Amino acid sequence: MSTLLITHPACLDHLTPHGHPERPDRLRAIERALEAEKFQTLARVQAPRAELDVIALCHPLDYIESIREATPGEGIVHLDADTSVSAGSFEAALRAAGGAVFAVDEVFGKRAANAFVATRPPGHHAETARAMGFCLFDNAAIAARYAQKRYGIARAAVIDFDVHHGNGSQDIFWADDGVMYLSTHQMPLYPGTGALGETGEYDTVVNAPLRPGDGGEAFRAAFETRILPRMRDFAPELIVISAGFDAHMRDPLANLNLVEADFAWATQKIMDVADRCAEGRIVSLLEGGYDLEALAKSSAAHVNALMHG
Amino acid sequence: MAQQNIPNNQGDTDIGALSFERAIEELESIVKRLEDGKVPLEESVAIYERGEALKRRCEDLLRQAEARVQKITLDAGGNPTGTEPLDVE
Repeated sequence: MSTLLITHPACLDHLTPHGHPERPDRLRAIERALEAEKFQTLARVQAPRAELDVIALCHPLDYIESIREATPGEGIVHLDADTSVSAGSFEAALRAAGGAVFAVDEVFGKRAANAFVATRPPGHHAETARAMGFCLFDNAAIAARYAQKRYGIARAAVIDFDVHHGNGSQDIFWADDGVMYLSTHQMPLYPGTGALGETGEYDTVVNAPLRPGDGGEAFRAAFETRILPRMRDFAPELIVISAGFDAHMRDPLANLNLVEADFAWATQKIMDVADRCAEGRIVSLLEGGYDLEALAKSSAAHVNALMHG
Repeated sequence: MAQQNIPNNQGDTDIGALSFERAIEELESIVKRLEDGKVPLEESVAIYERGEALKRRCEDLLRQAEARVQKITLDAGGNPTGTEPLDVE
């Protein structure tokens, strides 16, 4: 079984204001990086649209409709200071959620060993009924909930190494003992959540905040001492990765100092857990990462690890 | 767009002229905004970095103040005879 790469050109049509860091060129940079010879064995497929009732596993239908209705015929409409929609945004958001759900089907159907979904808009800041932080629908949360419902798994884990805390995912799974949400992130930084003491209703929320200026050593220590032991003990049957690459030292929106090798290392460690308890099932979803060079190299290192362990 | 409102490195040059009271006041307001999650994602890192610059300004002013504080020296009869640097350690 090979690693699956899921994308869709519609995700380039979610336009943001001029100069906005979450821009279509992010996907183009990743696509270019994954054109290299060593990625030729990747299975590549276009993301289908998510059904609305699947998105509704995490977001109320009237919220989903409000996003559709906010989408303008032309131009850009702001939903908050960071988040906006253009004519192609609803379609892009359906493909982003749909890619995540399709990836779940492929790994449970044993047609792929694991999958990387390179789509946008990202998802982990989207709360149940609130778009924020560049996010409309929480793709990682939708993937985990879908796996619970469709495949009847008792436990899923969402591991989020984006430099920002995934307040949306934490919020959605706060009182769900079937999904463990684990996150490394910079604190203080947007959105302000993710303190050590935030542990969820059933102690299934695991936060490992890092200090501004921290690098690979502190990141790996957080994984070794906090993230990996808790994830191993939980024994998830599926691992969803919220793969943001903005903890890279080049990223303009944060102050951590990771390099590509740190993302590859983290990926391998997550794969070890997946091999032990989830038959290797990993669905990795692109979140942030705003320096194009760092994003391209880091996502390539991540996918290379998914392919070769 | 929002980025135009972000204090940049040039904007930080004013920090060197701030009084301790003004610097600490702005720093406290930044900490509160970051903790409350009221800062947009795009501005979050710039505001944090301004907070760091304000913290450095406060530390510099404290160090300067320490250097100015001197200990009054007394003679055997308990009368002031002069000053010597205060050992702040």
